[in-house]
Amino acid sequence: MSDLATALVFWPVGALMLVTALYVFVTSSMARAGLLLLAALALEGLLFLALASEFLGVLMLLMMSAEMVIMVFFMVMFMPDPGGLMGMDMVHDKRRSAGAAVVVGLLLAVVAVLTDWPAQMLPPDAPDVRAIGFEVMGRSMFSFLFAGMAILFTIVGGIMVAKQGGRYGVGAPAGEAREG
Amino acid sequence: MITLPVVLAFAAVLFGIGLYGVLGQTNAVMVIMGVELMLGAAMLNVVGFLRFAHQDSTSGAFFVLILLTLMALEAAIGFGLVISTFRNRRTAEVDDLTDLSG
Amino acid sequence: MSDLTPFAILALAAVGAVAVASLETLVAGFRPAPLGATRQALAGLRQPISHPTTYDGWLFHLAPGLLLLAALAALAMVPWAPGFRGIDLETGAILFPAALAYVTPAVFMAGWGGGSPLPVIGGFRFIALMLGYAMPIAMVATAVAAPAGSLRPSDIVDIQATVPMALAQPFSLALWLPAVMAVALLAPFDVATAPHELGGGAFERYTGLEAALVALARRVLLLAVAGMTAAFFLSGWHGPLLPDWLWMAVKTAAVAALMLYAGRRLPRLETDRLLTLAWKVAVPGAIAAIVLAGAETLLFYS
Repeated sequence: MSDLATALVFWPVGALMLVTALYVFVTSSMARAGLLLLAALALEGLLFLALASEFLGVLMLLMMSAEMVIMVFFMVMFMPDPGGLMGMDMVHDKRRSAGAAVVVGLLLAVVAVLTDWPAQMLPPDAPDVRAIGFEVMGRSMFSFLFAGMAILFTIVGGIMVAKQGGRYGVGAPAGEAREG
Repeated sequence: MITLPVVLAFAAVLFGIGLYGVLGQTNAVMVIMGVELMLGAAMLNVVGFLRFAHQDSTSGAFFVLILLTLMALEAAIGFGLVISTFRNRRTAEVDDLTDLSG
Repeated sequence: MSDLTPFAILALAAVGAVAVASLETLVAGFRPAPLGATRQALAGLRQPISHPTTYDGWLFHLAPGLLLLAALAALAMVPWAPGFRGIDLETGAILFPAALAYVTPAVFMAGWGGGSPLPVIGGFRFIALMLGYAMPIAMVATAVAAPAGSLRPSDIVDIQATVPMALAQPFSLALWLPAVMAVALLAPFDVATAPHELGGGAFERYTGLEAALVALARRVLLLAVAGMTAAFFLSGWHGPLLPDWLWMAVKTAAVAALMLYAGRRLPRLETDRLLTLAWKVAVPGAIAAIVLAGAETLLFYS
């Protein structure tokens, strides 16, 4: 993309991404919070596309839709007020956490802006899909293998953690109500 | 015009918002959402460096792939733990999980 | 891809939706009347947009737009002819499942925005269904892209000049068809949105313009899904006598007719059976399909 096109896409999409990310924690409706997070991360995927990383942007868009819908699912299960109609305040230490967040964000932004990066606006020569494929299957095969094993362990471990009765499969006692 | 400091500044603000969620929210699921935002900010950083400093770096792209995988894995295990906690204690608020605090 | 391609895709969506609606009436056994159906649909637009008493405004009103956007994005990935390949992205075979994946949030938003319990249940049923069926779509797309060595849809069509993927990888086709029918809200996988399910399903509360948008989006989805099946598995535009676009049209119509006919003949599967099929059959099967595709690529395609 040309510089002007990138700028035209980047500023509004980036600003909208930050606004939706902030509203995730401001809104009191759980479905809206999950879908706002989906919006924020999908907009981040669009930013990746604008920054000439086509494969990564498309992957981000693909994965975030399913992930965030799962998150909404879980939030409606476990939050005390999923509809958001009672307007509960679910924040503790609001001022201190907001203060810490502002301080850290500003610090990182100042470091980013003031450092003299050895970076230029070269035309994008981003790796295409074939190059990423060869990298994954060639030089980075070891890391890819470990990522695969981590996924397998997470699948099995996550189910074992969540299972009723844990590892040993002991079911709920006979008289207990069917909760969770 | 978009330069590297602009991208890094956006990622820094996103990281701050995620940090607000992690520190401030009482429900465990919202904390997980904050961590997702922080990882997203890290990925935006790497993509910015890919675009402006190391255009032909396939290992940078692979790093973003690994970060994306880690986002999903961390959310999965986090949700499993939330289910288990809710099943045993009927609450998913981090303020009530204070067994280990002195 | 020229500058006119997006407009051409929008025009194709409009015309194709009417064609798909005519195909639906034809498969149902009636004589298709496209002009009458269009006039009736446009008359339905005069109905005012109403909403339930207690509802979630933002989600309710944004859902049809998101559904239409996902359907159009999926349609834009389909290659129709060597001269009109849609938006021929280098990663088109991954962007197609990504676009289809946004049908899930759209159906959930429609359900949750509907306000009452039954649409919400419809929305959650669709999430449960699509968690299992979204993965085989992306994995089978990868398996089909492996012999082509590229994720560009027109490259995948060109690799099938001699042997279509339906013959080279029939197992992948068997996994792709149910998954893609589930995401296109087609019977027999439409337990979440069918008119005869709980209270009418997730989209029941829409009237007027929004209902028209939902109906349009569903037909565009069917067109996109049928077109991509023809491109990925039936050699796209390759064929002996007819011109390219005509072969593609014939194959797309055949696939769409097959999907609609299967919907009318097969009983609607229940949620638990659907989930069993997805997680115990489709996902491991899709992994096996990728392994088989890799072996086939090494043996025959390189």
